Amino acid sequence: MERMDFKSNNPAMDFISRNNSKPATFEAYDIGRNAEESAERMDGTFIGQIVSISSLKVDIFMEKPVVKVRDRVFTERSGRKYWFEVAEIKGSVASAICFNNTKGLSRGLKVYLSGTGLEAPYDDQILGHMFSSYGEPIDNSGVSGYNKRNIYDKSLEMSEIIIDGDILWTGIKVLDFFAPMRKGFKMGLLGGAGVGKTVLIKELINNVYKGLRSNSVFVGVGERSREGRDLYDEMLEAELIDKISMVFGQMGDNAMSRSRAMYTGLTCAEYLRDEKKQDVLLFIDNIYRMVQANAEIATELAHMPIENGYSPALLTEISEVEERINSTEDGSITSFQAIFIPADDITDGAVHAISKHLDGQVVLDRKVAEKGLYPAINVFATTSTLIDPEVIGDRHFRLVEKSLSILSRYEELEQIVAVLGIDELSESDHNIFFRARKLRNYFSQPMFVAEQYTGIPGEFVAIGDVLDDVEAIISGDLDDVEEQDFTYIGAYLKTRK
Amino acid sequence: MEGIVNSVLEKKIAEINEGSNAYEIGTVSMVRQYIVEVTGLLNVSYFEKVIIGTSAEGYVDAIRESSVLVSLTVIYHAVKIGDSVMATGEEYQAKYSQSATGHVMSIFGEDLMVGKMLDDLEDVPIEMEPIPIMDRTAVNRPLLTGIMGVDLMYPIGRGQRQLIIGDKKTGKTQIALDTIYNQRGKGVFCIYVAIGKTKKEVKAVYSEFLGKGVMDYTLILAAFNDNPAPVLRNTPYAALSIARKHLEKGEDVLVVIDDLKRHADVCREIALLMGSTPGRDAYPPDIFYSHSRLLEMGCQHMNGGSITILPICETKSGDITDYISTNIISITDGQLVLSAKNFEKGQKPAINYGLSVSRLGGAVQTREVKRLGQPLKRELLSYLEQKEIFELADLDEMGESLKNRMRRGGQIINMLNQGRYAVRTSEQMIEEVREFGEIAE
Repeated sequence: MERMDFKSNNPAMDFISRNNSKPATFEAYDIGRNAEESAERMDGTFIGQIVSISSLKVDIFMEKPVVKVRDRVFTERSGRKYWFEVAEIKGSVASAICFNNTKGLSRGLKVYLSGTGLEAPYDDQILGHMFSSYGEPIDNSGVSGYNKRNIYDKSLEMSEIIIDGDILWTGIKVLDFFAPMRKGFKMGLLGGAGVGKTVLIKELINNVYKGLRSNSVFVGVGERSREGRDLYDEMLEAELIDKISMVFGQMGDNAMSRSRAMYTGLTCAEYLRDEKKQDVLLFIDNIYRMVQANAEIATELAHMPIENGYSPALLTEISEVEERINSTEDGSITSFQAIFIPADDITDGAVHAISKHLDGQVVLDRKVAEKGLYPAINVFATTSTLIDPEVIGDRHFRLVEKSLSILSRYEELEQIVAVLGIDELSESDHNIFFRARKLRNYFSQPMFVAEQYTGIPGEFVAIGDVLDDVEAIISGDLDDVEEQDFTYIGAYLKTRK
Repeated sequence: MEGIVNSVLEKKIAEINEGSNAYEIGTVSMVRQYIVEVTGLLNVSYFEKVIIGTSAEGYVDAIRESSVLVSLTVIYHAVKIGDSVMATGEEYQAKYSQSATGHVMSIFGEDLMVGKMLDDLEDVPIEMEPIPIMDRTAVNRPLLTGIMGVDLMYPIGRGQRQLIIGDKKTGKTQIALDTIYNQRGKGVFCIYVAIGKTKKEVKAVYSEFLGKGVMDYTLILAAFNDNPAPVLRNTPYAALSIARKHLEKGEDVLVVIDDLKRHADVCREIALLMGSTPGRDAYPPDIFYSHSRLLEMGCQHMNGGSITILPICETKSGDITDYISTNIISITDGQLVLSAKNFEKGQKPAINYGLSVSRLGGAVQTREVKRLGQPLKRELLSYLEQKEIFELADLDEMGESLKNRMRRGGQIINMLNQGRYAVRTSEQMIEEVREFGEIAE
């Protein structure tokens, strides 16, 4: 049987697979099939034998093409089961991606088809527990016997989706002021490495989740296991563990795990929305890692990459996930999605593709972080569809516009000052310069989750106070106050009165 | 070298005598640098060790439909087409000996200073399974570097991964060496992993350590520039497996990896030679995972032991936003950024305080250090930022408080200056910050 050769366009590949006419029998593969041994097992149906192996993938030769893409298959060696998911089928050869690693596997091992594809817990028992990307409990709690559902099944019709919701205040000044959000919102937190995405998402968990007391799902995708453990402990300590379900496919895990954590986490969120009819908070840290993992898988399958090595199906893969994160008549899913910006390149194809799905975004900036001002938000790149006088009111809208104009003039003035010195500014520029600096300092904020690092207790600031303070700074009422006094505070006027 | 051949031979002879020598033989059909294609090895396992006569040995890196690819780790003679390749039935592993402390060792268990194998060698897997989330606990015990700018402001905890990043010749390695030096008598086993360093450089580190008594609790694991690339690739993983062995006994381990940029380049070289599709900057798309699974071995374990990792990454013209750097920054728990400009100005260590981060911060400091260190950091950062703006302003027209702040800022920078191996205890640091506070006020 002829099969398509995806590798033939790559000259480097000739070295590896010169043999383009593929044999079609077990004998031709020299893997010597033993008919009696390959009979049915209790836990699976025999489908074929392994013919090639790399660190992430095996190819399985099948006599009959009995598997479908996304079927779950396994093999066994020295009493240990190795799981795979079928990714591609070319004639009688199926390529499958492994769940852990392929160390120790050899050609000729028999492969069996499991009765189900990948499943995630779909049950009340998700709350208070921690699961792997493959839907298995990893918190040593011994939770078992729960219902499960296939992690890919769901998709929503346009008619089912609800797009309105009440405004949701986070108590974080710069977010509420520049990027307010509502229930059912998709908020992206974009940032390069080490500028504070995770701290911000943890502060949101603290403020929004503790405030609303609704159930939530945390999906850890390709992030640090240490942080996963810290989050678990913090939830335990705050007695909130019974209201949260956690799914982890962290950065020590292989690409398959990092890719599928999203699907499993989503299935948990859908359970709360569809079955429990709840408003759900979905925290994802961080969704870029799914795209990255998919690129690793696509490479193993020898798909032609798009720029920067991403999977050619990048847009399709993101849409498949993002279109499931929506609100229905039954309940809402409000999501906070951390997005890593590789190489500080905001024009990166993956970042761009994800941000298309967002209703609002907060961009974290190294230049702000460098000044020690956290959350290190670049206010110019931060947006929300709710910045509209009809939604947030005239006063808020006007203040946002005014603030942005002052801050953008400040950026220009900074360069002038660097060359000519501060004394050369006109009086009005002089005022803008110092008011903008106060405004910038004011938008730094002590965070609850950072208290143990900074020693400063966190502050939840009401939007009304933010508007009063910003108005006073812009109008010049606070010109006599030192700019230092605005750094790492909550509300200013309210506490000084 | 001879030792390896002999030990393998002895083992094989013993096996032949036992009749358990049913190993497969294949034939080399292609040689590309240190990657060879072998036909005929039908039943080898992925990552199995193979031996090519007396010429070379390596491991199975990919199993194709009609051949396997072998990455060579030891090359005695050039491999020829048609050479016989013997499967061993064993997983490819590194060697380690409990008596290795104090030595410069390769991952094959060879003492590189004398060119002999160490005694009591045991097998260590190159890579181990990730540490489960529930086996970890919070990182909160300090790992003191003895450097004021680090311990006071960007502290490192036991189980933390803290990147040291900067241009060539900015003192990156020195910070790591100072840190190892400062572990004396603190019950921390240290591993200095040299990847692609010159033999001269490694020898210099060894002599310096030996003279200072550092080798009493330190192992240097080295892969040199002229080793085959697969050795360079595997060495940091083997180092972490050795660290895991000590961790399992509840010990505290410090691993310095010098450096990961070179390691990334090695991974790229191998991937491209093997015909993988290149990604961003021609690195393989799984380069993030190559480093993330390595650095995820750093942890505070529930058994009380810990693995602290200080990876080093070299940058070009101070750009820490390139692909590999941002990858590693996004894995580690913080970074110490070194600046060539500061170095030239005479600031030692040349830390760029604005760009450095410790995600654990005060959580790994003692109460007193945190109480003094964190406000000092805020004051310094705000000074550095204001300095840029007011550099050209007329000093006489500044307000009294601004003038005072600028003066104090300069003094903080001076106070943080510290030479090589001039480590200080926490008490000395506290003392100095207190004195400084009194003078200034």
